[in-house]
Amino acid sequence: MTAGAPSRGLPIEFSGLSKHFGTVRAVDDLSFTVQPGRVTGFLGPNGSGKTTTLRMLLGLVHPSAGTATIGGQAYQELPNPTSTVGAVLEATSFHPARRARTHVRMAAAAGGHDPKRADEVLELVGLSADAKRKVGGFSMGMRQRLELATALVGDPDVLILDEPSNGLDPQGIAWLRDFMRYLAGEGRTVLVSSHLLAEMAQTIDDAVIVSFGQLKAHGTLEQITAGMTSMVMRARTPEADRLTGVLDGAHISYRRLSNEEVAMDGVTPEQVGPLLATNQIVLYELTQEGADLERVFLSLTSGLGFGEVGHGNDGSPPPDAGGTGGTSEAAPAQ
Amino acid sequence: MIDAIRAELIKMRSMPGVWVTFALGFPLAVLIVLAVLANAGGFPGHTFYYVESLKQRRELLGAGYFACEVLAPILGVLCVTGEYRHKTMTTTFVLRPIRSQVLLAKVAVTALWSVLLALLTLVAVAAVGLPWNAALGGVTSQVTDQIGAVVPGLLVSAILLGLFGLGFGTLVKNQIAAILLTIGGTLILESILIALAHAIFHYDLNWLPNAAGAALAGDIARGFGGGGRGAGFHLLTWWQGGLVMLAWGLIPLTIGFFTTFRRDVT
Repeated sequence: MTAGAPSRGLPIEFSGLSKHFGTVRAVDDLSFTVQPGRVTGFLGPNGSGKTTTLRMLLGLVHPSAGTATIGGQAYQELPNPTSTVGAVLEATSFHPARRARTHVRMAAAAGGHDPKRADEVLELVGLSADAKRKVGGFSMGMRQRLELATALVGDPDVLILDEPSNGLDPQGIAWLRDFMRYLAGEGRTVLVSSHLLAEMAQTIDDAVIVSFGQLKAHGTLEQITAGMTSMVMRARTPEADRLTGVLDGAHISYRRLSNEEVAMDGVTPEQVGPLLATNQIVLYELTQEGADLERVFLSLTSGLGFGEVGHGNDGSPPPDAGGTGGTSEAAPAQ
Repeated sequence: MIDAIRAELIKMRSMPGVWVTFALGFPLAVLIVLAVLANAGGFPGHTFYYVESLKQRRELLGAGYFACEVLAPILGVLCVTGEYRHKTMTTTFVLRPIRSQVLLAKVAVTALWSVLLALLTLVAVAAVGLPWNAALGGVTSQVTDQIGAVVPGLLVSAILLGLFGLGFGTLVKNQIAAILLTIGGTLILESILIALAHAIFHYDLNWLPNAAGAALAGDIARGFGGGGRGAGFHLLTWWQGGLVMLAWGLIPLTIGFFTTFRRDVT
């Protein structure tokens, strides 16, 4: 959260949002709120329903059930949609023969904004020098910037960005990160979907993690990663086979990383240390892995939940695996 | 609504295909001028001759009808299928989330471009047809006297033909297929169907788009509005033709709106 940010943003609320394409549940009963003045990462693997969710928010896709609102109103009901919401959806949505300035001027006209605004936003995204060039000759990064300029033409309170880093070079990604932080610093609501976790971890304040269309976790980045801290232990041992047998007997989930390495999920050093000592297992190394967004993400989106990743034989939860996930809002949403 | 129209105007004028289609109006109108003057001539010593009869004078003034018949539907098709082809419909619907407004704006813009096309063909007639007719010995005022009888029909025909193309473009998202349906369908398939219906059932298929448009346009279309309408073919009255043309535009437009246009944009 940017301290002292003026409150010009609006909350985005998803309530029981679902979308079914035939028998496929692309989005399944999704409920969460995105707060103004923060950059919220909307994270999930490809095909997890992120784009469909954002498109439902923008009225492009009709929900099968539930609602998605911005400041309490559906997007189609907003009196000045482009002054309220700016959306970056896909960097290929341009007529190749249209000049960059013409494209943004068209967007300005559609929203009833001053045509001069086109030059302002093109300058804001660093495309002034290319304003008269045809979009067909633009690189993917330039198209992303142009899409962003289009989204900003109405000086909106809410920014929705779907995979905006795609095609950007490292400089462009850094620029986008600073830009999103700047917009949130002004109090705007910024919701950005991505599967580039390392990048997102440096950018976002809050995270919403979805998988198979379902909400898996929602909270601040600290809360979500804290939920994973102290839950992954890695052991290096010449008795890996015997260790896994012990873990099976103790109903602790694990993953064999190599002949000598085993990762144990959902356990603390206080739990696993005595267990190994009791069974007299020789250890070369026992480390508690630092939790990061990527680990949380992989854990939550693998089709299994906390404490279930690569579980041993019977799939039953490990002892005390729950209760370390933080608050109900911040914890994995299972 | 005005904002939506403004945006659509910018889109249309920044599409090269629209300008190419529009520009073809001039040479096509000149070709028909040539055909009208050749039709007036064609006797020994005169390949071309000035127009004399009322029908010929109206055909000369309305020489742009054929250009409108071919090109106005293409303008309508381009107005909507260009969005699907270049995936800009997503941006359009984000900028203007009420889709009926988008479609109404497209109707307005297609009508405007169709009128401009008709006016361009009149410029071609004024620049080439009238001076040439005068050079052949014709009296210019005898042709321009028919402005009241020809121009309104030409303009209304152009608008309805544009709407016809827009309707099919809304219904059939594929640009090539939509153009083939509108142009190929009216200029080729319709002529065949009319000829077959006339020969086999002795029935005048005068409610098909080309024939309905010819009825609306009056004399200007009878000579050069497409084949298949031989002697004895009964056109609708002008107002019936206008209503039928309106239906040919509105029916696919309405079906397209409730199907293709309102579908999820995924």
